Amino acid sequence: MEVFLRGYSALGPYVPVFLFIVVAVTFGIVTLFIAKLVRPHRPYPEKLSPYECGVPPLMEARERFFIRFYIIAILFVLFDVEAAFLYPWAVLYGKLGLYGFIEMMIFIGILLVGYFYAWRKGALDWVKEG
Amino acid sequence: MEQFFFFLFAAGAVISALLVISRRNVMHCALFLVLTFFFVAAIFVLLKAEFLAAVQVLVYAGAIMVLFTFVIFLVHIPRTEKIRQTFRQKNLALALGLLLGLEVAYILYGTMAAPASLPAAAPVGAVGNTESFGVALFTRFLFPFEVVSVLLLAAMIGAIVLAKKEIDR
Amino acid sequence: MVPLSHYLIVSAALFAIGVAGVLVRRNAIIIFLSIEIMLNAVNLTFVAFSRFLDSLSGQIIVFFVMTVAAAEAAVGLAIIVSIYRNRESVDVDRVNLLKG
Repeated sequence: MEVFLRGYSALGPYVPVFLFIVVAVTFGIVTLFIAKLVRPHRPYPEKLSPYECGVPPLMEARERFFIRFYIIAILFVLFDVEAAFLYPWAVLYGKLGLYGFIEMMIFIGILLVGYFYAWRKGALDWVKEG
Repeated sequence: MEQFFFFLFAAGAVISALLVISRRNVMHCALFLVLTFFFVAAIFVLLKAEFLAAVQVLVYAGAIMVLFTFVIFLVHIPRTEKIRQTFRQKNLALALGLLLGLEVAYILYGTMAAPASLPAAAPVGAVGNTESFGVALFTRFLFPFEVVSVLLLAAMIGAIVLAKKEIDR
Repeated sequence: MVPLSHYLIVSAALFAIGVAGVLVRRNAIIIFLSIEIMLNAVNLTFVAFSRFLDSLSGQIIVFFVMTVAAAEAAVGLAIIVSIYRNRESVDVDRVNLLKG
């Protein structure tokens, strides 16, 4: 570890992160590989079916996705970006004071218009009424 | 040390980007794109843009790729794998892409002889990256910041109008 | 210290890969993925310049580019879904008419 850090100190805090990723990936690959070496391999149709002791599958699993999930995903992406903008604001809140608060309220206010639009259009209703 | 990591991440980004455009299965392409985003985020960390690295993982690898995965589930049915995946002009297109890459690399390489080294005591990384980033965002770039909310609003309304038609059907 | 030109060459390579993907593939979703690669290549250039010219403006522009990418993905994928619903295909060769 010390040898690692000596040459380049600015990346120092990231060495544990990097080691973590390396160990995690190696663990996954090595486990799969060892399991492949050790386990017996005797397949038969019953065993290969998705649920060995359940109901037989009725249709292909890759059925078309319900489109209502998709509109939720769109709203998630856009509000996720909004959350990314909130983060530096939250870090700086003490310094910015009232000025920063008003700035962010305008930002959120404009996005709330979109939220209410989605609400009014029924994009958030799971089942259509009537 | 930094050299080693740079070459590791750069090679990773380029190889996974090549896999994105060459795999047959759309889902594999999307997952390799996530890998590319992670490598680019790692390069951002090397460039001391920690906040952007975090946003890259959150917004790109987290949110945008979730949306892509949804659309692949919506659209992708097994038989789309069977059809021919590329245009007839594939070779010409590849050659043009390569030519463009060489051109861009040449121009960038030629023009950037000037600021080869970093000035001492960089304020980019002086205080926390997020903090200096926020100060610039909320003071100098205040107007673009507010305009971004209008852009997001427009995207939201556009996407709802487009997707709503499908729901009502 | 890795010189600036190295970063620029990586981003040029990524950009060219994105262009090749747009030109070569016919699946509209993969074309979209390639556009994301190109946006990322440009982001990388911005961040590299911001580091070497010692100014934060580049990073802020990258943040805005990411926002635009999110908006673009939302609307673009909605368009792809409605094309798919109309044509049962996402092959860009077969979407050559502007009328439905």
